[in-house]
Amino acid sequence: MHRRDFLKTAAVAAAGGLAAPRIGHAADAKVLRFIPQANLANLDPIWTTQYVVRNGSLLIWDTLYGVDDQLTPKPQMVESHEASADAKTWTFKLRPGLKFHDGEPVLAKDVVASIQRWMVRDAPMGLPIKKRTDALEAVDDRTFRFRLNQPYPKMLFALGKSSTPMLFIMPARIAATDPYKQITEFVGSGPMRFKRDEWVPGAKAVFEKFEGYVPRSEKASWLAGGKRINFDRIEWQIVPDTATASAALQNGEVDWWELASPDLAPLLKKTPNVAVDIADPLGNIGSFRINHLHPPFNDVRARRAIQMALSQPDYMGAVVGDDQTLWKTLPGFFTPDTPLYTEFGGDILKGKRDYEGAKKLLAEAGYKGEPIVLLVATDVAITKAQGDVTADLLKRIGMNVNYVATDWGTVGQRRAKKDPPSEGGWHIFHTWHAGADCVNPAPYTALDASGATAWFGWPKSDLVQEKIAEWYAAPDLPAEKKVIAELNKAAMDDVVYVPTGFFKAYQAWRKNVSGVVKAPFPVFWDVTKA
Amino acid sequence: MFAYALRRILSTIPVVLIVAFFVFSLLYLAPGDPAAIIAGDQATPADVERIRASLGLDRPFVVRFADWFWHIMHGDLGTSIFTNLPVTHMIAQRIEPTLSLMILTLIISLTCAIPMGVVAAWKHGTWIDRAVMVTAVFGFSTPVFVIGYLLAYIFALWLDWLPVQGFTSISQGLIPFLRNLILPSVALGLIYMALIARITRATMMDVLSQDYVRTAKAKGVGQRGILFLHALKNAAVPIVTIVGIGFAALIGGAVVTESVFAIPGLGRLTVDAILRRDYPVIQGVVLLFSFVYVLVNLAVDLLYTLFDPRIRY
Repeated sequence: MHRRDFLKTAAVAAAGGLAAPRIGHAADAKVLRFIPQANLANLDPIWTTQYVVRNGSLLIWDTLYGVDDQLTPKPQMVESHEASADAKTWTFKLRPGLKFHDGEPVLAKDVVASIQRWMVRDAPMGLPIKKRTDALEAVDDRTFRFRLNQPYPKMLFALGKSSTPMLFIMPARIAATDPYKQITEFVGSGPMRFKRDEWVPGAKAVFEKFEGYVPRSEKASWLAGGKRINFDRIEWQIVPDTATASAALQNGEVDWWELASPDLAPLLKKTPNVAVDIADPLGNIGSFRINHLHPPFNDVRARRAIQMALSQPDYMGAVVGDDQTLWKTLPGFFTPDTPLYTEFGGDILKGKRDYEGAKKLLAEAGYKGEPIVLLVATDVAITKAQGDVTADLLKRIGMNVNYVATDWGTVGQRRAKKDPPSEGGWHIFHTWHAGADCVNPAPYTALDASGATAWFGWPKSDLVQEKIAEWYAAPDLPAEKKVIAELNKAAMDDVVYVPTGFFKAYQAWRKNVSGVVKAPFPVFWDVTKA
Repeated sequence: MFAYALRRILSTIPVVLIVAFFVFSLLYLAPGDPAAIIAGDQATPADVERIRASLGLDRPFVVRFADWFWHIMHGDLGTSIFTNLPVTHMIAQRIEPTLSLMILTLIISLTCAIPMGVVAAWKHGTWIDRAVMVTAVFGFSTPVFVIGYLLAYIFALWLDWLPVQGFTSISQGLIPFLRNLILPSVALGLIYMALIARITRATMMDVLSQDYVRTAKAKGVGQRGILFLHALKNAAVPIVTIVGIGFAALIGGAVVTESVFAIPGLGRLTVDAILRRDYPVIQGVVLLFSFVYVLVNLAVDLLYTLFDPRIRY
């Protein structure tokens, strides 16, 4: 063979080999390749409250109760429960045949240890239960009991809450870990086991079907019902770049993208083999968080000046773009299209924006042009977009803006400082709250107005706190609705924080995948792949 | 020569220690709080404080530095705050993709850039020279991510020849390994290629005007012999220098390339660690990079003796 012929042959062979069809390209229906919303850097759903950790944990660990798509807690590991007439004694019985991934049976003592660890870290619901608990005991291998010193009507909702930290049941030896330290074993009783040997944090996490899992007989609905997994493996691939994630989905290298960028959704919608739909029907609420401790915003008139000038369409346009199906204005604090949603008291956020009125209120509050420290996490698209709109808004109402461009890690540290803004503190930062956390006051940390112990910004309103307490005691839905309307108005009047609007996100998947549902978390059960 | 190499290797120790001190100090002074990130957005300030204390982040600078330094001296880079995995394990998981990317990039860059530079110098002033230089300017001035997206669009989405993202270990076969790495290597290598091609051209032009080249021509040595046996060897020292200096650019470019092509390498590990303030990981990776950089410079110095016998250590 001549040298040139050899080179030609080698080049063609190499090109042919490299361009060969991808082995296993959508061929293995038993493997689901999934791009999660963020990197799965650890797997302790009590130690950290990051949603991506909660989502991974839902595969590994099971829960006593699980909310369905009507936000009703339904039994999951629990077979039955009984509450005493005075609602102070709650007795629960576990389903038979529950097993951990190491083959050990799930016992009541495991549940007790798991509840004890969870209660310490769950400030909105766990801690109040802990304070009311005289005894939490394992009666026998399948039965455990709470003895409370005062009733806690939302017990089932607390045990099955989907907001973080969720109550996951772990073996007692793991649950004995200090709640402020990370667990070192990932053994659960959920439908999938974690393949620790294949875990590359920041790149890949693999879950393998747990054959010992016995799903409930009911049809699955969100976290309730039978969790039937149709895959041998679910591979989470971390793809940080949205354009790359989109291209990988278009190319069939992954099957499902949890959080498709709104910028790329139009392109994905045009791709024949890709389906695009809303990810989470409960969406998110944008937040303009104000520091109530320091001038000018320690005066409610200054906070109201923001309310009367803030234009939610401006914020939502910046956050999700031109796609109007993804957002709506929100003159309230609670998640739209959920039972307790109300706009009562939210008129100040509606209609034409009043910049002159805002300037007047600021003057009445004694504002004289001092710099307003606006913390903007520029590495998070949603906070960056909100921060830019706020900078413009503040200038429009005559405020002197000190735009502190930084990253989320720094905002997370600085927002905890109560010092005056001129000494390293802050006036305003932005974030957003998952709609699933804003369906009622229990998981709604951002609405707490208890002052020094409240969430960052430390709002203080006795009326807000009174209404939250009334909600806990409300006997039925009509009573809850009445209290929530009053709570919404009280929080609006005090300007606990200012909602910047309600927005949703897209998810996208290959059309050979079916059974993908809209939920605040990825629901893998009942999903199949052709 | 051996003694020199040994001395240079030993001299890396204080360099790495100084780097270690500066990295630790910078991270200590930099704003940000891993405890707040771990606790999550809904956590209370009290929870954040408890987590910070459990991680030992509330200890004074001197105590933390001494603790860290003591472990370094025992070959322990620490444990990641977030994953609870040893930093050495995390680096070991990520080193193959980055090393593979670097090596393939070097191979592609050198294989293309040196002949391009030589031919451009040989055909100086012709359309070939201009074409090479235009290509070099394009390569030099186009950001890695633009090239990356462009290549992915053409070869993965449009032609469907190669995958968009990911990494396959060479242990799973050469072809799958190359399929995943070709696009990122070309994207990363373009700027490097441009740099080396320009230096090769300039140095070769200088060498080709030397008397001994004219003498070689007069003696009837063929064009290929003059270019590759006589001239290129004498032009090698500046080229090797630029290859060494360009290595730092390659590390920087690898961070972007690994993000664009979702390669689970050290670059992405570094970025993730910085964004999360995972101090032990950042410190470990920076130490590794500084050590590697020092070694590359040593290799460059030793290569000088190979190309220029007048250089002696």
